[in-house]
Amino acid sequence: MAQDRSATGVLVAPGRPAAPPTSTYQRKTGLQRWLARHWLDVLLVTPLVLYILFFMFVPLAQSVYLSLVSASGGELTFDNYRTVVNRSQFQAAFVNTLGITVMGVTMEMVAGISIALMLSREFGGRGIFRSIVLVPLGVPTLVAGAAMLYFVGFNGYLNEILLDLGIIDVPVYWQQSGPRGMFAIALADLWKATPLVVLILLAGLESIPGDVYEAANVDGASGWRRFWDHTIPLLMPAITMALILRVIDAFRIFDIALVLAGQAIPVMSSFVYFDYQAGSINTAAAAAVILLLMILVFVVAYLLLVARRTEDVQ
Amino acid sequence: MSATVARIPEDRQPTVPLAEPQRRRPWSDLGFWIFAIIIGALLLLPIYVLFKVSVSSLAEATAPRPSYLPREITWENWERLLRWEIIGDPLRHSLTVAFSTAIVAVLIAAPAAYVISRLPRGIRYTVVLGLLLTRMFPEVIIATPIAANFFAWGLNDTDVGLTLAHLIRALPLVSWVLVGTFEVIPRDLEEASAVDGSGRVGTLLRVVLPLAAPGIAVAAIFAWLDSWNDLLYAIYLFLTEQTLPLITYYYANRGTVTDVATFSIILTIPVLVLTLFLQRWIRSGYLSGAVKG
Repeated sequence: MAQDRSATGVLVAPGRPAAPPTSTYQRKTGLQRWLARHWLDVLLVTPLVLYILFFMFVPLAQSVYLSLVSASGGELTFDNYRTVVNRSQFQAAFVNTLGITVMGVTMEMVAGISIALMLSREFGGRGIFRSIVLVPLGVPTLVAGAAMLYFVGFNGYLNEILLDLGIIDVPVYWQQSGPRGMFAIALADLWKATPLVVLILLAGLESIPGDVYEAANVDGASGWRRFWDHTIPLLMPAITMALILRVIDAFRIFDIALVLAGQAIPVMSSFVYFDYQAGSINTAAAAAVILLLMILVFVVAYLLLVARRTEDVQ
Repeated sequence: MSATVARIPEDRQPTVPLAEPQRRRPWSDLGFWIFAIIIGALLLLPIYVLFKVSVSSLAEATAPRPSYLPREITWENWERLLRWEIIGDPLRHSLTVAFSTAIVAVLIAAPAAYVISRLPRGIRYTVVLGLLLTRMFPEVIIATPIAANFFAWGLNDTDVGLTLAHLIRALPLVSWVLVGTFEVIPRDLEEASAVDGSGRVGTLLRVVLPLAAPGIAVAAIFAWLDSWNDLLYAIYLFLTEQTLPLITYYYANRGTVTDVATFSIILTIPVLVLTLFLQRWIRSGYLSGAVKG
């Protein structure tokens, strides 16, 4: 048997420390035997593995590589990062992306929790209402941006509604850089993404055991107390997941920002695209890598902070 | 992250669907209904506005102080844009790429998902989580070198190239939905079939595949929708040719407001129909896929 043979050290060169206990010979026969039993599984998985390797990880590595060499190739350098960070368009894209994310995700979480709580109640017409809530999910992201053109335009419905409600006296020009433009894009994102938040939170709400509420009822807890003391803590896993997914998506926002504001209000993804279109693939790759790092930093920081806080509570 | 994602299924015990707390309502009934109606109206408003603009004349659509109700309905925009010279090519590209993506995604992902679904629990979670993580990459970081490569290989402006690109997004999603589908097919059935003398391949085709058919259909529709909606890869790869999202984007950039609205509605109709049709699975398949990891 393979093990016996390698145990006798046949293939281990004399004098060399036999540190790796498995010889290549044994590994090969082990692999062969494993293949004999699992050849079908390997065959079935191979296309997916190859595709992911060649069309995801190779391009990813290519981007990292491109971001670290100059346009003419050659040695490794951080020049692309230095160049891109100093561009005002990039700085605007960075600030806009963060601003849109903070505004959009905050509104989405508030709207999502309200609507999910509403849908967790029994009421006539709940089925229809559920379908209505899902409608934005059935609209292409691009269309969500296009639809918002008719709201945030100077003669748009947002101004019209605000004028009718008497909140403003003169129409506001929304599609400009700065907080107003961010808000316009966040509004489109809010409409498009809230259904996803609602669905995740509903799944979370349905997993809260009913007897927690019964106990709270016996205690005579008021609605708000019950909400803060029981619902929110029990909902935390679902909230965490919705928040992480939404922030990642908001960092990557592309379609909506492109349709709604184009180059006037750049975001990280659209900056990468415009930079690539302008022919500077190296700085585009550098900006894309920075975007990836933003996502990683957020996820790690959030998990560390939330995990620590949850430990404190327990 | 794995801890967070994996924690939820353990909590998912059979529960009372929150019927209990109703007796003491935080809001009065009237307030509840007003809130529900306002939310519902706001959610439907953008779609309504798009449709309203698409059946308005240009003069009405661009007038200051827009009206909530259409003053005069005209199908002029629809008649002008729904002609083969305008919409034919983009529609053909969009449909070809969407169907190719759905079919190829299932052909590649279904066999792999079956194998993954039979892995030990811990490894399975890790693999599925890994698949999900690939969807968290910023797409531009992949699309930028992909575009450069595809131009070098002459795949720009071709349906093949765009399909290959859309598979990048579709494969993890389809694999993940299908792992969920295969997971619930009991192994006993396969063993029984093996006892009957079917080979492993025969068992897969005759026993497992028919049982997985509904899940495969749902996964294929998700891939189709992902491709149909895509603007990012299309804008990178298609310079002279157009897809429906691309033509909508170009009109949004340079066209008239009524045309943008009309194209938007055309683009939306199949998506909306399929999404509402898929309601049940969006929850139990797509999302439990997400929640279960």
